[in-house]
Amino acid sequence: MTVVIGFEGSANKIGIGIIRDGEVLSNPRRTYITPPGQGFLPSDTARHHRAVILTVLKEALEQAGLKPADIDCVAYTKGPGMGAPLVTVALVARTVSQLWGKPLLGVNHCIGHIEMGRLITKANNPTVLYVSGGNTQVIAYSERRYRIFGETIDIAVGNCLDRFARVIKISNDPSPGYNIEQMAKKGSQYVELPYTVKGMDVSFSGILSYIEETLFSMLVEITERAMAHCGSQEVLIVGGVGCNLRLQEMMGVMCKERGAKLFATDERFCIDNGAMIAQAGWEMFRSGQVTELEDSWITQRYRTDEVEVTWRD
Amino acid sequence: GTPRGQGRATQLSSPFPVCSLDVPFPSSREATIALRSLSPDKEPRKGGISKLITVSGSTLSVRWSADEARILRVSVNSFLDHLSLVMETMEMFGPPVAV
Repeated sequence: MTVVIGFEGSANKIGIGIIRDGEVLSNPRRTYITPPGQGFLPSDTARHHRAVILTVLKEALEQAGLKPADIDCVAYTKGPGMGAPLVTVALVARTVSQLWGKPLLGVNHCIGHIEMGRLITKANNPTVLYVSGGNTQVIAYSERRYRIFGETIDIAVGNCLDRFARVIKISNDPSPGYNIEQMAKKGSQYVELPYTVKGMDVSFSGILSYIEETLFSMLVEITERAMAHCGSQEVLIVGGVGCNLRLQEMMGVMCKERGAKLFATDERFCIDNGAMIAQAGWEMFRSGQVTELEDSWITQRYRTDEVEVTWRD
Repeated sequence: GTPRGQGRATQLSSPFPVCSLDVPFPSSREATIALRSLSPDKEPRKGGISKLITVSGSTLSVRWSADEARILRVSVNSFLDHLSLVMETMEMFGPPVAV
């Protein structure tokens, strides 16, 4: 039996989750929400996380009904993400790791999303579309690496949606993307916008005028191209933008045409959360990885394919 | 007991602003825990600031030197925020388990 606690706070969500052999025992989370028209800045975000992190940690233990002695490993987000919030969270993880005498594990945030998606959906070996405010990548596993097949050449799709929401002053509660989706459901006019796919990659900075249809069509195209390249019959969507039902619907149409299966998780797990870091940490820990304190520095840049995936064949 | 710190910032005799901070902890073990939590991350700013954190007995000591007072202030303020978070964590989830 292996119990891992995971700490996540690389953007505006702070979450701490506990996993025991594939079972999510607790996963509390808080979101830093800014007024309409404003994005979130690193120092303010770090201040938000700092104010609540110890409370959330207590909640995670209480909701799981566990004591620190029951934990086998402390996992935290090493990167990528915003520097100040990453440091705030890493400080607490390093401190409790030492107080409780448990090994530490620095986890790649993107891999946290992937491993959570695999756990919840039981997808076997899917082509992964990772879409969030900070990241847009099409990923396939091959020989101990999560290979990046395609990505945004400028901004993440979620960043594009968030910036659009800011321009038209949509509320950021619970998230700008969610509110765009609700409004888009009532739309009936399609406006043609720049559609920019370059081979495996996409570009979103030319489209800061919205429309899910165009953004999502681009993502479906590059996912399909990666699937064709890998001969894959499964798609897994992870990351906050993955909550979007229209994206899931459009991806589903493409999958049906190809006879492929579509996998996605709900908002508990596609939005940044602590349990996903715990899950990736569980996989890494069980395959023998550990992070020494001196090497536990956080990093704003951390590519998904930098990690050796020792837990898969 | 709660650690208390003593800090000084001087710009008098040295050409570059410096600051020193000494924080007593209840034990050498706890001072070392704080050191190992606070030292891994690099300063966000590349250049213009240097910081050295050490432990002697049960005291955590930090020595800064910077090119400008402004740069020194940012680093010291940031460190104090981080130190207080580490101390609060130790207060709430300590004492350290027996080795």
